[in-house]
Formats: sequence, structure tokens, C-alpha cells
Amino acid sequence: MSNSVPSHEADLSTKPAVTGSPHPPLTLSQPEAEGGLLRMSDSDAALVARTLGGDLSAFAALMARYRDKFGRYAFHMLGNREDAQEALQDSFVRAYRALGACRQPERFGAWLFRILVNRCRTVRRRLQRDRQFDGDLPDDVPSNGARPDSFEWRDEIGLALDQLRPHYREAFLLRYVEGLDYAEMSEMTGAKEPALRMRVKRASDQLRELLRDVHAG
Amino acid sequence: MSAARTLLVSLLLTLPGVAAAQDARLAERLDGATAASVQQTVDSARSRGLPTEPLVQKALEGGTLGASGDKIVAAVSALHGQLGRARSALGRSASESELTAAAGALRAGLPPSALSRLQSLRSGKPLVVPIAVLTDLVAEGVPPEQATRSVLDLAREGRPDDEFVALRRQIQIRRQGGTADPMNRPALRPAADPPVDR
Amino acid sequence: MPADHDDRLPDALLQRVVAELKQPVRLDPAVDHRALEEIRAESSGWHASANGHRWGVWIASAAVAAGLLVAVVFRIDQPSTAAAPAVAEVRLEDGAAKPVHLRLEAPASSKVAVVGDFNDWDPVATPLHLTEKGGVWTVELQLKPGRYHYTFLIDGRRWERDPSEPPAPGSDFGAPVSVLTVI
Repeated sequence: MSNSVPSHEADLSTKPAVTGSPHPPLTLSQPEAEGGLLRMSDSDAALVARTLGGDLSAFAALMARYRDKFGRYAFHMLGNREDAQEALQDSFVRAYRALGACRQPERFGAWLFRILVNRCRTVRRRLQRDRQFDGDLPDDVPSNGARPDSFEWRDEIGLALDQLRPHYREAFLLRYVEGLDYAEMSEMTGAKEPALRMRVKRASDQLRELLRDVHAG
Repeated sequence: MSAARTLLVSLLLTLPGVAAAQDARLAERLDGATAASVQQTVDSARSRGLPTEPLVQKALEGGTLGASGDKIVAAVSALHGQLGRARSALGRSASESELTAAAGALRAGLPPSALSRLQSLRSGKPLVVPIAVLTDLVAEGVPPEQATRSVLDLAREGRPDDEFVALRRQIQIRRQGGTADPMNRPALRPAADPPVDR
Repeated sequence: MPADHDDRLPDALLQRVVAELKQPVRLDPAVDHRALEEIRAESSGWHASANGHRWGVWIASAAVAAGLLVAVVFRIDQPSTAAAPAVAEVRLEDGAAKPVHLRLEAPASSKVAVVGDFNDWDPVATPLHLTEKGGVWTVELQLKPGRYHYTFLIDGRRWERDPSEPPAPGSDFGAPVSVLTVI
């Protein structure tokens, strides 16, 4: 990676206003402020154009811009750093290969995020296949749902998320953590909005049930 | 060994195939009824795809240490249960070494959820070393919550096995007041060479 | 259709959950570097993908396969010192046996042996030898990777745990037992 490429930390709370178009654009990308100035020359569209012109350092800048922001989603979706990094790396490469098909380069982030969501689905399916759980317990051993007294809150959440169906987990993260609205989620996942609402509700209900005792304790 | 158990075992021994599969070591080192009862547990474990050698070794341990037949049977049965719970925590992809290590962790009082979380954070990397370190920390007197937190932190950061080993070494040296004999390395033993200080 | 605001997080618990999940997660910046390497490796022989030319489709397939292979190699590039996953019991690990030294200070003893999972708890199978340094007994074992419970038998009548290794969890039979892990 070129040393001259600035490292941008994505604003995690960013969510630009939804436009009035029938299909509101996915609004995950916008130029970041650095030192109080908006560096329009570093906009996603500019970096995409430079990349298509053969400037790999421009693509490196895009990756640095979105790695942590999207890495958060991948980490929670897949449950660990290594799988998240694999999914993200894979997504970057796929995005590069298909960059010419990105019709709205100013919304490169949203376009990249969709690639990542799909990659996470693929990795998740593979993980589910590898880790087949056996519910059998010997008759003389009671099931044990006990937690250490101070199992960290983030581990409690991680365990609870792990127990959700992948589609429920995905919907919950997209809605409440990544802040997408249902139209954006539908465009990203291909699922209809009523189905997505149901998934979010069920994920919420299940998380509430799984974490209720921990929260109260 | 209780009379009822002895009668039951004797009846079982008459069933074809039961006596034939018995581990010779059990027959040589334990009394007949105890050996048969242990063998039954071993066979049950085998049919469920659980490791059997730890069960045999537990029985031999009891025999050498002079334990009664009842105590041996109870210990083997408890270990069988722990192996089953380890399987429930780690799933079918867990190796036999991992199941054995996990059973030890459960025996030490660590909950299955800690093992499941560790597995999730390790993403397919072998679990024997982190589980062993977690168990040893608790055995050394580290509170289970603290041990769990430390080991999960390392796993969450994707740290290699060396760092888990180093953590254990640090704890052990600290608890021994910094007087650990380097030639009597307390750490996990990769070789007989002199240790490398970390 | 209910508006989006109808499913705002209704309770404190889920608000706490989301607050935790929104915490930044910093991934390894090497992810970018590895992706670039993969891109460079593909780009060195093919420039069609970024422009979407149809003639690059079959090349794309080969590149995807190569890219996936690179991704797999990157995933397993970390050397592991952990025990190789076993296909059988502890004593039949796939990993090669390694020399492991046991030692015990027992200056007043005339005979020391070790019993454990590695010798079927046989009291006569593995005696220790008195070293020239008085009172220190040692033995070298060849052990495959795994966890081993063991204890020392002093003068044929007294059990003593190895103080240099952690105690075994619990005490099934009332005797002091240690656990060592070979990696």
C-alpha cells in the first residue's frame, strides 16, 4: 500500500438523509471531514475513477476508508475476527474486479457493503455446515446454561447472536447497528420488506429472551 | 460394588458380544465387576463417537491409586458425562483432543458457554492449547471469571498459541513468587530444551 | 405498512445490546494489503475485470479459483504450535512424540516412579533416576501432543504431585495428581 495514501476513519454514525426517489439510495458513503475540511478530491467517486484509470493506491484508500466500518458488521455477523477479515478481503477483491459495473461510484460504500453482506452469507453457510451441533447429552448430566458471574457483556451478546438464525442476525445488524431502513435492506438482501420486518422482530424477541437474565443480573 | 450392580453386570456379561469387546487392560487391572461396568461406559462412549481412551485411563488411575470399584465406576461415569457435555459445547467438528481438554475444563467448573465462545472466536483454529491454558489457570487459583476473560481476550484478538502459553507461564511464575526453577519448566512443554524467557 | 419508526428499539436491554454492537471493531490493516496482493497477482496478466469486458469471463473464472486459493493460503498461513487435531485417543495423536523431562526433588527417597496416562498408570513401568545433583530424580519421556494426568510414587508407598505443573481438576481418588500438556 502506498505510504502517501491518507487513512480515513469512517464516521460510524453517518447516515445521510434519504432522498425522495422511489428507491432511496443506499447512503453509507460520503466524503469524510479531515481537519475540518471536506476533501472533495478524495470522494468515493474520485477514488473509483482513479482506480479504473489504473491507480491501485486509490483503491487502497477506499479499502482503508471502509475496512473498520464494514469490518464491524462482518465481525458481528460471523462471530470472530479471522472470518470477518476473510470476508472483507474477499469483498475488496470482488469489488475491484467488478468496479466497472458500479453505476453510482458516489455510492461506492453502499455497493461494497452489499458485496460484503453476500460474502458474509456465504461464509456463514460454510461455518454452519462445519459446526454441526449434537444436542444429545448423557442422561445423568443436566444441561448447563450457567454463565460465569462476570462473563463480559460483549461475550454474552456474541453468544446470543450466535444462536440466532443467520437471516435474523443479519436483519438485526443491518437495521439497528448499521442503521439501514427497510427499503435499503430490501435492496441489499433481495428480501421483501415485510419479511425483513418479521426477521428484525424475531431477532429482537430472541435476543431479549436470551439476554434477559444477564441484563437483570 | 453394590449387589444390585453386580447382578446387573453379571447378567450383561452373559449377553453375546459384551465380554468379547472388553479392553484387556481393564480385565487385568480391575476386578471383574468393575471392569465390566467400566467397559459398558466405554462402549457407550464409543457408540456416541466420544473418546474412549480417557475413560480407560481414568479407570486405570483409580485402580493404581487403590480406589474402590464404586469410586472408579463413578469417576469414569462422570468423565463420560463431561465428554458428552464437551461435545454439546463444541459440536461434532471438535477433535478428540479438544473434547478431552474440554472435559477437563468442565470438570474444573468452567461453563460450556465459555468453551463455545472460545471456539467461535478461534474460528476453526485448534482449541487444545487455549482450553488447556484456561483450565490450568483455574487450577492455579485464578478466579474462573478472570481466567475466562483473559483467555477470551486473547482469542478475540486472534493471538497465536504462544501467547496463551506465555500467559499461563506468567501466572504460574507470579503465583510461585517468581522463584520458578527454569529447568523445571512450569509451562506447557514443547520440548526438553531449556526454556526461553518471555 | 408500519413506518420505520414503529420498530425503534423499545426497551433498555436492546438499546444496551445495540450500543455495544456499535462499538468500533478494528480489523487487521493487513486485510487491505492481502487484497491488493491478490488484485496485483490477477492484474498482472489480465485487465478485463475492471472494465467488464465479456471476453474476460472465462479468465475471470480461473482468476476466481486462483484468488480463492490465495485466500485459503492466507487463512492458514499462521503457524500453529497447538496439538494437531487427533483422530483417536490422547495416546494416538498424529503429532510426533517429543522428549519431555520430568523431575522431582526427593532427597530422602530411595525409589521414585511416575505413573500416568502415558504408561497406563503402571507403578513399575517408568522409574526415575537419581541425578548426580543429590536428591533430584529425573526421567525423559517421549510423549505425543496431548494432556496427561500423572503423579509420582515415592518409595512405593506415597503419592506426590509434580509441583511444577498444575493440579488436575478435582480429585477423583483422593491422591494428588498433576496435568501436563505437550504441544
